Amino acid sequence: MSNEALKQEIRAALDNSTLARTLGTFCKNYPAKREKAYEGVDFEATRDKIKEVKNYAADHVDEMIEQFKTNCEARGGHVFVAKSTEEAMEYIRNLVKEKEVKSIVKSKSMASEELHFNKVLTEDGVLVQETDLGEFIIALEGNTPVHMVMPALHLNKEEVADLFTEYTKEKNEPIISEEVKTARRVMRERFTHADMGVSGANVAVAETGTVFTMTNEGNGRMVGTLPKMHLYIFGIEKFVKSISDARWIFKALPRNGTAQRITSYISMYTGACDVVTDKENDTKEKKDFYAVILDDPGRRQILGEPDFRQIFDCIRCGACLDVCPAFSLVGGHVYGSKVYTGGIGTLLSHFLVSAERSSEIQNICLQCGRCKEVCGGGLQIPEMIMKLREKDAQDHPNAIKKFALDAVTDRKLFHSMMRIAAVAQAPFTKGMPMIRHLPMFLSGLTEGRSFPNIAQVPFRDLFPTIRQNVENPKGKIAIFTGCLLDFVYTDLARDVVLDLNSIGYLVDMPMDQACCGCPASNMGDTENAAKEAVINIEAMHAEDYDYVVSACPSCTHQLRQYPSFFEEGSEMRKRAEVLASKAFDFCKLFYDLGGCKDEGDGKDVKVTYHDSCHLCRSMKVTQEQRELLKHTKGIELVEMEEHDNCCGFGGSYSVLYPEISAPILENKIKHIKEVDPDVVVMDCPGCMLQIKGGLDARGIDDIKVKHTAEILAEKRGLK
Amino acid sequence: MNLFTDELYERFKKNLESVNGTCVRASKATLGKAIADVFTEAGIPDVCVAETPLLKEAGVADALKDAGIQTYTDHIRLHAETAKGGVSENQYGIADLGTMVQGRDDIDERTVATMSEYYVGVVKGSTILAEYDDMFDVLAGLPQMPGFIGFITGPSRTADIECVSTVGVHGPIRLTAVVVDDE
Repeated sequence: MSNEALKQEIRAALDNSTLARTLGTFCKNYPAKREKAYEGVDFEATRDKIKEVKNYAADHVDEMIEQFKTNCEARGGHVFVAKSTEEAMEYIRNLVKEKEVKSIVKSKSMASEELHFNKVLTEDGVLVQETDLGEFIIALEGNTPVHMVMPALHLNKEEVADLFTEYTKEKNEPIISEEVKTARRVMRERFTHADMGVSGANVAVAETGTVFTMTNEGNGRMVGTLPKMHLYIFGIEKFVKSISDARWIFKALPRNGTAQRITSYISMYTGACDVVTDKENDTKEKKDFYAVILDDPGRRQILGEPDFRQIFDCIRCGACLDVCPAFSLVGGHVYGSKVYTGGIGTLLSHFLVSAERSSEIQNICLQCGRCKEVCGGGLQIPEMIMKLREKDAQDHPNAIKKFALDAVTDRKLFHSMMRIAAVAQAPFTKGMPMIRHLPMFLSGLTEGRSFPNIAQVPFRDLFPTIRQNVENPKGKIAIFTGCLLDFVYTDLARDVVLDLNSIGYLVDMPMDQACCGCPASNMGDTENAAKEAVINIEAMHAEDYDYVVSACPSCTHQLRQYPSFFEEGSEMRKRAEVLASKAFDFCKLFYDLGGCKDEGDGKDVKVTYHDSCHLCRSMKVTQEQRELLKHTKGIELVEMEEHDNCCGFGGSYSVLYPEISAPILENKIKHIKEVDPDVVVMDCPGCMLQIKGGLDARGIDDIKVKHTAEILAEKRGLK
Repeated sequence: MNLFTDELYERFKKNLESVNGTCVRASKATLGKAIADVFTEAGIPDVCVAETPLLKEAGVADALKDAGIQTYTDHIRLHAETAKGGVSENQYGIADLGTMVQGRDDIDERTVATMSEYYVGVVKGSTILAEYDDMFDVLAGLPQMPGFIGFITGPSRTADIECVSTVGVHGPIRLTAVVVDDE
């Protein structure tokens, strides 16, 4: 699939107003509802247990399969372990033929989607009915799920009424409670007449041969209670060892999935249970119970790759979708896979559905890290998506991206380009500090946002002119400016120096430093990222300093990643570790070095604070900057709604996907305006670029954008 | 046997009510009438009862018949297709969630709890456990898992259309738990 085709799908999703409204409202309300559902339950401890029990099962997967088979069969079930999805479907087709199954009712089974179950059996002349309301609706529409847990979010009640009218040949009113009744009525007959029920498992317990299904609508129970045959389809990632282990998953699954403390039903089937085989004579017999376990190469590949093995810890709760800024705008269809969507869907699709599709959609990830916070299995989703990017960049090198990154890595070339740009931009800045329109292919940069112009004199040339009056310095700090401080926000870089001087530290700027390598890492270009790491490790010479300060959390994060680029024990690794251990973000370092003082000019200024993703989620710095602000005389700090939501910048993301980035920014601007501050403060130059640009493009000039270092220097009269 | 306190009952009731269920308390002597009252008030004309020694002893089927309700105690699967009400006994309760737990493989009990529009579940006070974890401890300690275990928490529900929470899809539309004080 081409990038252009993906962009068209993104536009289509953004144009669907029902999706925007429903998904937007859901995602907005989700965090608070989820938190409420977790009252009295320790989420972190729960997910640690989930990781523990799922890890155990993954490490002993062959034993799990064997035990489950033995125990389920001992209780009258039949178990088939399929070595491929084709083999699984062939087995099921034969079973359906042999048992003369004419009609099937299904409760949700994502694994069955991997087999193209419905399509294959429908072509064989079998009536296959999806019974989950959302699945039923999208089946009528001929569409695929837009969300793992709520598949028909993109349709409104009017559209559902039309689909029902067409299906039942009777007029259906667009009233949700009536539509639910119609579904009940239509489906009831299907349940009572079906020859076979099909279920997916949330969990399979090896020690007892038990499968678990959790539902709200009751269709799962119908499927398991009424037909004489019952087929479970699930993958080898669903195993846990014991019934006791299963508890942890059902503690997190409803709370994370739908913000419920528990769903209406949790059903556990152990082997063949009773069923009525002849209702007229009230004959009761054991049902025909089958379990098809997917042990296909895709799943084995996940287990075999150390970087991705943790995918087996996923409990399919969908929380990663519900907090994703990109997903909340575009929904699941953009993710393309007919089965799995969102962050985890990107990963699952790569291994289980289509690596090609996954290679495009992984770009939709902003790397903001919110999914990681709520993930029920504690998966490092952004890091794994980054690994996919790396794989993809190696397998399909992109000449233009590669050139750009090569140029950034070549320090001299990049620096001369920036100097040339400082002059060449003149026609576009029109003498203003922001560029509102850029020509041709660069226009995406200025969609809904102005771009700051490039400083006439880079910070590296200004630095020697700064007079640092520090008597008896307490220590020496090296400043890592990164590209934005060096070439755009030179005043901010100067304020960082002045702030640190004010608490007794001298600052030095090692001149051979280059781009931190974050853009290269973000695009999966590990080669250039490692090159840049070497340049900076040598240039910064951290061994000579007490600390290394950066005023850009993305740079700080990247500096701290350096050790992972080099082999353990190597000289470069050791040096990278020294640099990583001394690298701090400005506000954290300034606070820790005693910078939090009750100082300031006392002039009233209303401030709101935007948390940047790398600072609050990767480095967990959320309080230090607030303490610094609160203790500054004159500053009144008022929190905005969703203050830790991404601003949509995401490095090169806003250039690659302005369609998604722009509405995320729109939301951020809305929340800032609600507070109506004099200044919105943040700690990331990337966020500054994005938010300043957004305010400027909307003609809002009474709200200033400042870095913590800037407002501190200003209020303390250091400038 | 657990110590069943008023506090535990209130906790069970409150949590069940928070998910659109209702809850009443009865003694063995008043059980039949309590159930009949629930159905009479809701205007349910016909009910399937999956009988157990407790329900028989308490005369539930007779109480329903006395209240003028068409009552079935056999051929449950057949009658459940049309009867609007269903009654069965559950083996456990979980106070912290308002959950009733079917802890055994009895197809009639499963059928009435699944197919009826109005389901009344009976649970003995002494079998109500405080927490979800207590329930899993009990299940994990069983010598053998029954063929079926079902947690039931309130009526069936969906939010599949426009994310609007709506009660009553494929399973019961209304649900009442009758907690029986042990003697």
